[in-house]
Amino acid sequence: MTDTTIPAQFSPDNAGTPAPAAVTTTPAATAAPASESRLADVGRGVARWAAALAGAIAIFTLLLLVKGANPADVYSHVWTSTFTNSPSIQQIFVKAAPLLLGALAVVVPARAGLVNVGGEGQIVIGAVAAGGIGISLGDKLGGGLVMILMAVAAMLAGAAWAGLAAVLRLTVGINEAVSTLLMNYIALDVLLYLIYSPWKDPHGTGQPTTAELADTAKLPYLGTTSIHIGFVFALVATAVVWALLRYTTWGFRLRVIGGNPEAARRAGLPVAMLLLSAMLVGGALAGLGGMVHYAGVEYKLRTGITTNFGYIAFLASWLARHNPVSVVLAALALAAITVAGDSLQLDSGLPAATVNILMGLVLIAVLGWTARKKGGAAR
Amino acid sequence: MTTTTTAAPETTTTEPLLQVTGFTKQFGEVLANSNVSFDVRPGEVHALIGENGAGKSTLLKLVYGMYKPDAGELRVAGEQVAVGSPTQARALGIGMVFQDLRLVPAFTVTENYALALATSGVTLRQGELRRRIAEASESYGLAVDPTALVRHLSIGERQRTEILKVLMSGARIVILDEPTSVLAPTEVEALFAMVNGLREQGLGIVIVTHKLAEVRAIADRVTVLRGGRVVLAGADPKPMTDAELIEAMVGQTVAALPAERPTVVSDAPPALELIGVSALGDRGVTALRDVTLTVNPGEIVGVAGVAGSGQRELCEVAVGARHPSEGTVRVSGRELGRGGPTAGIAAGAVDVPEDPVNDAVVPTLTVLEHMALGHLKAFARRIGLDWRRIGRHTMDINEKVQLRMAPAHRRVADLSGGNIQRVMLSRALGREANLVVAAYPSRGLDIATTRRTQELLLARRAEGAGLLVVSEDLDELMAVADRIAVFCAGRLTGIVPAATTNRQELGALMTATEATATDSTTEAPAGEATMEKAQS
Repeated sequence: MTDTTIPAQFSPDNAGTPAPAAVTTTPAATAAPASESRLADVGRGVARWAAALAGAIAIFTLLLLVKGANPADVYSHVWTSTFTNSPSIQQIFVKAAPLLLGALAVVVPARAGLVNVGGEGQIVIGAVAAGGIGISLGDKLGGGLVMILMAVAAMLAGAAWAGLAAVLRLTVGINEAVSTLLMNYIALDVLLYLIYSPWKDPHGTGQPTTAELADTAKLPYLGTTSIHIGFVFALVATAVVWALLRYTTWGFRLRVIGGNPEAARRAGLPVAMLLLSAMLVGGALAGLGGMVHYAGVEYKLRTGITTNFGYIAFLASWLARHNPVSVVLAALALAAITVAGDSLQLDSGLPAATVNILMGLVLIAVLGWTARKKGGAAR
Repeated sequence: MTTTTTAAPETTTTEPLLQVTGFTKQFGEVLANSNVSFDVRPGEVHALIGENGAGKSTLLKLVYGMYKPDAGELRVAGEQVAVGSPTQARALGIGMVFQDLRLVPAFTVTENYALALATSGVTLRQGELRRRIAEASESYGLAVDPTALVRHLSIGERQRTEILKVLMSGARIVILDEPTSVLAPTEVEALFAMVNGLREQGLGIVIVTHKLAEVRAIADRVTVLRGGRVVLAGADPKPMTDAELIEAMVGQTVAALPAERPTVVSDAPPALELIGVSALGDRGVTALRDVTLTVNPGEIVGVAGVAGSGQRELCEVAVGARHPSEGTVRVSGRELGRGGPTAGIAAGAVDVPEDPVNDAVVPTLTVLEHMALGHLKAFARRIGLDWRRIGRHTMDINEKVQLRMAPAHRRVADLSGGNIQRVMLSRALGREANLVVAAYPSRGLDIATTRRTQELLLARRAEGAGLLVVSEDLDELMAVADRIAVFCAGRLTGIVPAATTNRQELGALMTATEATATDSTTEAPAGEATMEKAQS
């Protein structure tokens, strides 16, 4: 029984798809990169993406087999529970909002050659700042004003959190990848401290959370859906970031630094200030991500508020090669995998880590198979 | 073996170490090599010359296994072989010293050698390797310090390191791609002495160069490529004149520089004033010592010296890219102070850096974007840049300088060294400036473009700019400069008028440490100065 179904399921993923994909990637790698048409580039990019995803799914299929699950059942179940019912589809957009903002927080510094691993901490600290405003002013001022104040506070907090890492890099030379990562833990401890004592809901059930945000300060939904307006914020932020990086002198300067910092210095660019500004903007975006998740979904600060959004967003940015347009697709794709993972965990009894394995596989496959040959230029 | 299109060798007794027959290679619409035949016999030096784009690099890359020929065959010591990769080429005894040196800057010399020489075993056994390097260094007469970090070495020193590396890897056929392009006369002599030694040991040497005097000095035979074809096959260069060789390369005669130097009258402040300037090099050792030098408007001051004598630091200090540890720097009357490159640019300084790839080029950007870099404020339009104006500006510059720069939309990462140099030169010489600092301006350029560059330097001078020009080619300095400032171990050992000086005088000043050793600081004697620098 299983002997007949498994190979049937196995072959399209494992043998079928990668084979033609390999045919398309090999000539691409050997062909001279110089004067290819843009269309061919795009086509090749899509082919590589498809090949990478197929590869990741093939390995994941193997894992499911080892685990004793029937891949056909799992996939069809994931499909129906994620993409064929409206609440789940809406859930994808809900999760994509902080993911997209968190990914932009990686995109902007990456333009200047900086690695911001601190999206998680910047999201948390943004949520904390928004929570501070929400708790103290949520029922005292008009809803719109509170939302604006929460957004501003969250962006300032995120910017400060990332800016600290930039200052450490520029003054004492601590690598920003390390400092942003470490500051994630500090942010989490700040959150824990606040929800366990000063901000703990006195009327709560004993769970360490803050009191719920006043209804007027909660982000409104789009029409009758459960998608809050934070997703629109994220899209607007994406458009703004794209335009800033593409059309402004600031964006051009960041690109110069990212390409060759010494050349930037000799061209008279204020390198330190530009690096700082890139991190500040990135941190502010992640902070806003924390705010929309708090005021749009959670309404209370609690221990697991971000569910690793910052790290998933980091993956999203790398998947999109730090391109502010493709990052929208990457964020949606990873949000979909997260939602699928939730249903997988609830319905088929597979452990929660399973979906993380899939996400990791996708990332490694995409990065590995779409990497530019001859990495020498990107020093 | 039986049929060969190469000119019949005078002595047919020895079989060629390397024989290329009918190599053809097409890239898109460009026929980079068309039926090219070429051979190297044991114990000979075969020079390969030609303009940029003549197909020299393609031929070398075909031989070295980096490209596959569309047609043609390759024989090594009589055996027909197909070289699929540089690794195979090395295994066949073909060694290549690239123009853009392939060393890892963050590694020491020994570590770089360990990378290339593929020592067996788990550990690198650096001690043993270091000893071998020291021995080889001595026996070949090439001073290489095994413990030095490569990024602290000057380009000349890196090249020496690279040549020794190829020799140690057991090459029987050594291909040198423009080896003398950044070497001082003494270093060129040392290199040629080494090449002669290798020739006596029966190795085959291929040398690619732009310098015709070198062809006559070192080569037994010369092959000239033009437009992918062999136009002169394995001729004896000794009786040939420069004009004959140039005509073969270019296909026409090239006019000499005008000898006249009109005096430029200007009441502007000096273009560059260095007063008692000292500066540290990248290794934290003083690389420039107490230099006082003035470049007047309408004057070209040439800078001569052995590689690593402080030229790099001098150029960087002059444009604000390096802060002097002592002394004052003024560009066009404005003190740079702690202003850095921004102050230099504001005072009207432009430069062609010694190492454009590391210091001035952003590989991911296009040629057009490089033309804007350094002058972003001038091209600002609200919060963005006026790319249309930058485009027009670039076209204007192209028209003015006539250096045949690569198309504006090309990414610099895809350009060759010579084409990057054209971008650097166009940018520095195509716009108004008070001070032009040009390090090795003709590096990687063909004869016609070199001549054009020299004309541009003179044109800037005529317009009242002051120019500081570093070159390893003393003939070029004597042809272009008004005065020549000679450096040795970071000191200015003399300034001589270019019109009346000669190679002997300059050569003496370039190694003149004992002349200055009279003052309190004790220096190593002349010949050891560079060695000492390399080891410290």
